[in-house]
Amino acid sequence: MEKFSKEYFRYLANQIMFDLSDQEIEELQEDFKTLTKQMELLDKIDTSNVDEMIYPFEEDTVYLREDVVNHEITQEEALQNAPLVKNKMIVVPKVVK
Amino acid sequence: MNFNDVKNKDIKTACEESLSLAKASQAKLNAVVSFVEVEQQVKELSNKNANSPLFGVPIVLKDNVSTKGILTSASSRILSNYIPIYDATITKKLKEAGAIVIAKSSMDELGMGGTNLNAYTGKVNNPYDVNRISGGSSGGSAALVAQGVVPFAIGTDTGDSVRKPASYCGIVGVKPTYGRISRYGIIPYASSLDHVGYFTTNVSDASSALEVLAGRDDLDMTSSNQEVQAYSKLLDSNVAGKKIAILVNVQEAIEDTTITNSFNHIMNTLKEKGAIVEEVRMNDDYMKALLPTYYVLSNAEATANHSNLDGVRFGVREEGADLVEIMINSRTKGFSSDVRKRFVIGSYSLHVDNQEKLYKKAQKVRRVIVDELKTIMNKYDVIVASSSGTIAPLPNQKCGEDLSVSHLVAENHMLLGNFSGFPSMSLPQVMVNKMPVGISVMAKAFDEVNMFNIAKAIEEITGLENIVVGGDE
Amino acid sequence: MNFETVIGIEIHCELKTNTKMFSGAAVDFASEPNTNTNEIDLGMPGILPSVNKEAVASALRTCYALECEIDPLIKFDRKNYYYSDLPKGFQITQQFYPIGSHGKIQIETELGKKEIRINRIHMEEDTAKQLHQIEGSFINFNRAGTPLIEIVTEPDMSNAKEAIAYVEKVRNMLYYLNVSDCKMEEGSMRCDINISLRPYGYPELGVKSEIKNLNSVSNVQKSIEFEIERQSKILLSGGQVEQATRRFDEASRSTVLMRKKEGAVDYKYFPEPNIFPIRLDANWIEKIKNTLPELPSERKSTYTQYGLSDYDADILVQTKEVSDFYNEVVTHTKEYKLVANWVIVEMMAFLNKNNIDIHKNPLSPQYLAIMVEMIQAKEISGKQAKIVFEEMMNGKDPRKVVEEKGMKQLSDTSAILTLIQSVLDANPQSIEDFKNGKDRAVGFLVGQVMKASKGQANPAMTNKMLVEELKKR
Repeated sequence: MEKFSKEYFRYLANQIMFDLSDQEIEELQEDFKTLTKQMELLDKIDTSNVDEMIYPFEEDTVYLREDVVNHEITQEEALQNAPLVKNKMIVVPKVVK
Repeated sequence: MNFNDVKNKDIKTACEESLSLAKASQAKLNAVVSFVEVEQQVKELSNKNANSPLFGVPIVLKDNVSTKGILTSASSRILSNYIPIYDATITKKLKEAGAIVIAKSSMDELGMGGTNLNAYTGKVNNPYDVNRISGGSSGGSAALVAQGVVPFAIGTDTGDSVRKPASYCGIVGVKPTYGRISRYGIIPYASSLDHVGYFTTNVSDASSALEVLAGRDDLDMTSSNQEVQAYSKLLDSNVAGKKIAILVNVQEAIEDTTITNSFNHIMNTLKEKGAIVEEVRMNDDYMKALLPTYYVLSNAEATANHSNLDGVRFGVREEGADLVEIMINSRTKGFSSDVRKRFVIGSYSLHVDNQEKLYKKAQKVRRVIVDELKTIMNKYDVIVASSSGTIAPLPNQKCGEDLSVSHLVAENHMLLGNFSGFPSMSLPQVMVNKMPVGISVMAKAFDEVNMFNIAKAIEEITGLENIVVGGDE
Repeated sequence: MNFETVIGIEIHCELKTNTKMFSGAAVDFASEPNTNTNEIDLGMPGILPSVNKEAVASALRTCYALECEIDPLIKFDRKNYYYSDLPKGFQITQQFYPIGSHGKIQIETELGKKEIRINRIHMEEDTAKQLHQIEGSFINFNRAGTPLIEIVTEPDMSNAKEAIAYVEKVRNMLYYLNVSDCKMEEGSMRCDINISLRPYGYPELGVKSEIKNLNSVSNVQKSIEFEIERQSKILLSGGQVEQATRRFDEASRSTVLMRKKEGAVDYKYFPEPNIFPIRLDANWIEKIKNTLPELPSERKSTYTQYGLSDYDADILVQTKEVSDFYNEVVTHTKEYKLVANWVIVEMMAFLNKNNIDIHKNPLSPQYLAIMVEMIQAKEISGKQAKIVFEEMMNGKDPRKVVEEKGMKQLSDTSAILTLIQSVLDANPQSIEDFKNGKDRAVGFLVGQVMKASKGQANPAMTNKMLVEELKKR
């Protein structure tokens, strides 16, 4: 698959479960030109021997939650936003994994 | 409007007035997603903390703050029918403090934007000039405070989403230290950069509001155990001996001399008042890398954070023959083009083939930048710069991804606060052609006291306190 | 050509905690659908995870039992994929820094003991349970978020028997540790098998198949056997095995292709930003290590020290409840072997025959100890003991049974001698037979003595004394 081809963007979108229109893909192709230039700004920075920074603060924490049931909702609350409910369960069309 | 204005009125009257103002402002600002009735809330005040600075104060919540029983759409179509079954921790805290929620405000969809042009309910207008943007993503909250509808509103800040609209709307916008306010119940954007913030019309209100919002929450493992300080009691505008750093990369990138001149005037006055004011410079390459780094990190985290929006358990489900079709249809129609395009960037940078050179590279650059910032910050009490190089732009003005220094540096330097987690705020600096521009103040982690104190000193110099537009034109 | 089989196993095991891995909702498999959840388990907008202490403790216990190196800095990562049973659209797991690594466990094979290396043990969360009906898939979120540990071996097993031995050994161990129910049939423990073939002596591994979600030991065996045959056929015909994920189809007793490697999911793993690294308290870890429940291997070595055979010791430790029962009995008596016999033979047979669950075992350990002591003191015969045992299974005190049934064995030598003399006097022909070398006569005469004593004479003593008396005549 050619990088930044229509097919490629569609693949990236489908990986995270949505579609793109042809026009959206064309816009993305433009955006990626800018993005690629912006990435060059990152590449200018020497990060050899630098670790990834994942969190704003890196002091270790110690808290662990006690194993006590203290946070539950009712069955009604669990289901009230669901688009389709039968037999007190949320239903989607049959999927075979 | 400020906290004291409310204290002098009957609570019910004040809150109802505020709600009416919000409704009246809708045609002008389009800042509200949902209005909330006040009567019941006022009745329940009897068992609330009457000593709280927010007792009986009408407030607005950004529409990504979970409110039990009240629509919380994050301005996205996919959540346009979503009624939370729980309250965010700050919703609980604000209720406990006796605050009265009068509205949920518009935002850039899922927080992903800096203009508030991309909201499911339409764009939000700047109260000073309705043709101009409010800024985003907390644009609805900013506009309502600036209009004088409420003296306090909650926003969230992942890039500069509280501070930038505060700057464009001429009010105070605070983003405290990462972990200072619980994020539990806030619909996220990018977890490692997300902060809860808020708007007020003056520094004093800002300092007392943090006392209500701050504190450890076991539901948010990243929230801090550090003691919450008495910010309002400690508020002191005496700057004698305070060390203030001017971030010159930003000031040099600003073309508008009204902005730079007023900034210099403020700095000189601070010096006269005994502050030690010095210029500091970050590596220019680091400053230019802020936005691209942010783009990679925020979109990557957002892609995963919003994977739960699939039409299965809540939100708008589109029909489909099988699960995959349902998810694809719900997400395609549920998210705007703009958001889907950003997700593609996230998907791209997290892709197994690209992670090393994009996502991880950006994380490393984040460290390099923050390390340099820390070195500077350690020598000063605060770092200051103008919040923006321009007044609020017009919607069609290009405020996107161009590569000019003025754009990369002047318009994006407040990302430093999100990368480092350091507390940062914006308050009005100057009026340019009757449009406000802000000044930003950043302090060391958990040193909100110094941030507020120096902001207070600046506020006294500018005199731009409690300025609101008012009326409904 | 003959092939060598190479097998590695991943065991997923649900932990027996009170609450979920990342939320305070109850873990309860028996309850009504969707009653043990909260917004976190449902992946609603705005939720954040908080790590269950007991789940970490259980993982640590498992690490110690499997002799793993422990990483005291707990970190989590996101595994991103979309499915209706995965509420958040990602699973929080420990991809990059598992809590345990480099462990080992010994199994018994036909060729003696074999060490299986453990690559890693990590914590993660379970998915929701789905019921696939014709009208659709029904989702029950009670299971969503249940703590799981995954135990991954190196490819150290070479046939189905070893794989089974490993799975059973680990299952038993986890059960002894009291960290899981380990009910494969109910899904609280599942296995994935990685299997490949290579010519004997060939250093490199062949292309593997991964067989997912095996829910019984017998399916582990069947799927391995099928896969060995399938792969050897391909290889023998000059073909190449395709790397793929397969599942076991019970109806056809074969493995079925799920997806090829080219279609492998890009999980876009990245560190979970909402959980800062957690440093486990050294004292707490030490306490967990020091209070580790006794493992089957330790109990076995105690039993062999008691003088039990390897075989008996194995049978006892095979079922924790049986072993627990045995241990309870031997707190009351030192007749280790006799107790083992009664537990293994009579008790187990009784429970089996009457289909009684071991948890509802009616036998009192103390009563069994008393009865065994009576046998040892020759107060009752083995034959009588069986009758006493039946009564004990109805909850009766053995001492009462013996008394009520007048069973006390006659061990008084003079009383037995009197009986012997009178029997001998009445049976001169038998004495004659004995003298002529017919040993059968002894049996007959003992029988007569027993009859005369109404079965209470101690048979061994009777036999010995009778022979002595016969020789005197």
